[in-house]
Amino acid sequence: MEPSPWDPEGVEQSLDAEGLLLDPRAAQGLDLRALYKRMVAARLLDLRLARLGLPMWVPSAGEEAATVLSATLAGPEDWLYPSVRDLALAPIRGMDLDEFAQQVLGAAYNGRPGAVAAADLGIGHAPEALGLHLPLAAGQAHAQKLAGPGRMTAALFGEGLTTTAMFHETVALAVACDLPLVLVCKSQLWPEGAPAEAGLLGDSVAERVKACGLWSRRVDGADVVGVYAAIDQAFRRARDGRGPGLVEVVATRLQAGEKSADVPAHRDPLERLRRHLDREKQWTPTFQDVIEAEVRGQLDRAFTHAQRHVAEETP
Amino acid sequence: MNVRERVVDVLAEVVAELLRDDLRRVLLGEDVRDGGMLGLSRAAMRDPALGLRVLATPLTPATNLAHATGLALAGRRPIVLLNSATALLEGYAALRELGRVGATANGERAAPVLIVAPTGPGFGLGGDGADSPDAAIAAVPGLRVVVLGDASEAPASLRAAASFDGGEAPTVLLLPRALILRELEAHEYKAQLGRPLGSARVVRPGAAATVFAVGATLDAAFAAVEASGVDAAIVEVSGLAPIDETGVLAAATSGKLVVTHAGGRSHGAGAELVALLADRAILHLDAPVLRVTGDDGPFTGRDEFAGLPSVAAIAAAITRVATY
Repeated sequence: MEPSPWDPEGVEQSLDAEGLLLDPRAAQGLDLRALYKRMVAARLLDLRLARLGLPMWVPSAGEEAATVLSATLAGPEDWLYPSVRDLALAPIRGMDLDEFAQQVLGAAYNGRPGAVAAADLGIGHAPEALGLHLPLAAGQAHAQKLAGPGRMTAALFGEGLTTTAMFHETVALAVACDLPLVLVCKSQLWPEGAPAEAGLLGDSVAERVKACGLWSRRVDGADVVGVYAAIDQAFRRARDGRGPGLVEVVATRLQAGEKSADVPAHRDPLERLRRHLDREKQWTPTFQDVIEAEVRGQLDRAFTHAQRHVAEETP
Repeated sequence: MNVRERVVDVLAEVVAELLRDDLRRVLLGEDVRDGGMLGLSRAAMRDPALGLRVLATPLTPATNLAHATGLALAGRRPIVLLNSATALLEGYAALRELGRVGATANGERAAPVLIVAPTGPGFGLGGDGADSPDAAIAAVPGLRVVVLGDASEAPASLRAAASFDGGEAPTVLLLPRALILRELEAHEYKAQLGRPLGSARVVRPGAAATVFAVGATLDAAFAAVEASGVDAAIVEVSGLAPIDETGVLAAATSGKLVVTHAGGRSHGAGAELVALLADRAILHLDAPVLRVTGDDGPFTGRDEFAGLPSVAAIAAAITRVATY
């Protein structure tokens, strides 16, 4: 199959556009059906959130692989500093859905609407200043380093941040202090030309940071197995004291509307993984209906409770 | 023979002692592994047992306070040594987050960060090195901001600021440059403050007027009271945030009030004090509340001492309120 303008060049492929697993060893230790459920849950969460009318909320459909796999691969003593587009990682880290819904609505944790955090689950809060969670994560990683190897911190963000002082200084801190910090950067391709705010400078963020001495990998966000392998490697390196890293996950935003009309279906990480499971006879429409119904039911319950709670608290 | 010691050298010993006393403490800042520009980490670096907790970092002005905040959230107690209080303006977004973080995370994640920075004129640097951004720092919600006014209290103030035993807010200890290169005899340094850090303190009693002096203006206030011949009280105001309102108001009963501080008058530290006095001491007031400050600036080059009020100006203000 010919690559589309939405497909990143120069990335290793594990799961091709048709869902063929090119190197089965790459998925070793990975329960792809369970991962698919988490990916579906993340997508349904995004759709649910879109209906809440949260201030400053942005969709993250299409970017789920980085979020879901960071949460899946982080150990109990690791920390994650999510962006506001990574809410789906909280339930995977074990956050109770009622608590989650209340936090998202801004009714718990004294946080702001559309953000989640939990110290006991190793989820750092999202500060309001642009990109400030990156140096907070660096500080957390520095404390882990002082305590000895075995733990790491990851920060998730979009490539628009990579022109900021926050990003550059965090890279400098991570490299110079050899911190167990992994930067998970979600990038986009812009077949019709990138706006200035996209932060595109040169070929890729992964290439750019190599010049700063930072270990990096660039993977296709539509290829969950590739994302799994890269994040797993980066997290292990950091935990083992082999240094910081950056994983650039090139994702395609799947917003409803005309902009995404010509995005090919294989750019959707869920669809690609579904094609794979289908090939392996592990997917049926019934399976799909069951997980969707289950997740929708859980989300509806949690958000209905939370909205009622908010209504009761509001004088 | 009495041994004379510079304030910065005594502070350097306290920094080392703080690291020894609490293994959670780490030292951050520019060139800390080389002693730092003021030499405040020199004593710590001489002790091989402490070196691992003296953390060198690249120059990261926008993020260094967030890096320290992350360390603090993870259970460390960072002490950040800055070369200038104006560096806090370069990291203002991170400073605001530091002030906010305790409230954000449900109170679960306190950030006991101590920032130590020289402020105001005193080194002959001019420009940023003579600037007093104290009020801009004190305006950040959630911080405790304290200015040293009495060189003999420097070591005790640093110890108190670093303790966080009462769950205090993230703290900025500002050290007026005019004070910290002074030499005092060893016995003159106070071991203990004997009062809460940041509280207002009557340092000279007097009934005819009251001078509220912040930071480096304390000595000038003494000289000015002397020169004016007025029996004026002098109150050291070291806490800019929170202001010790009880202490300040208790000292306002003379009704003839002068406020003096380094840095500009417009939106300066004194504006908040004067507003407090106008609001809460109105029944005592017998004269306008006068402010005697440095020039508003902007400063360039070696405009150094335009940043501090003169003794003559403070004395004139005391005479004016006393004879109003």
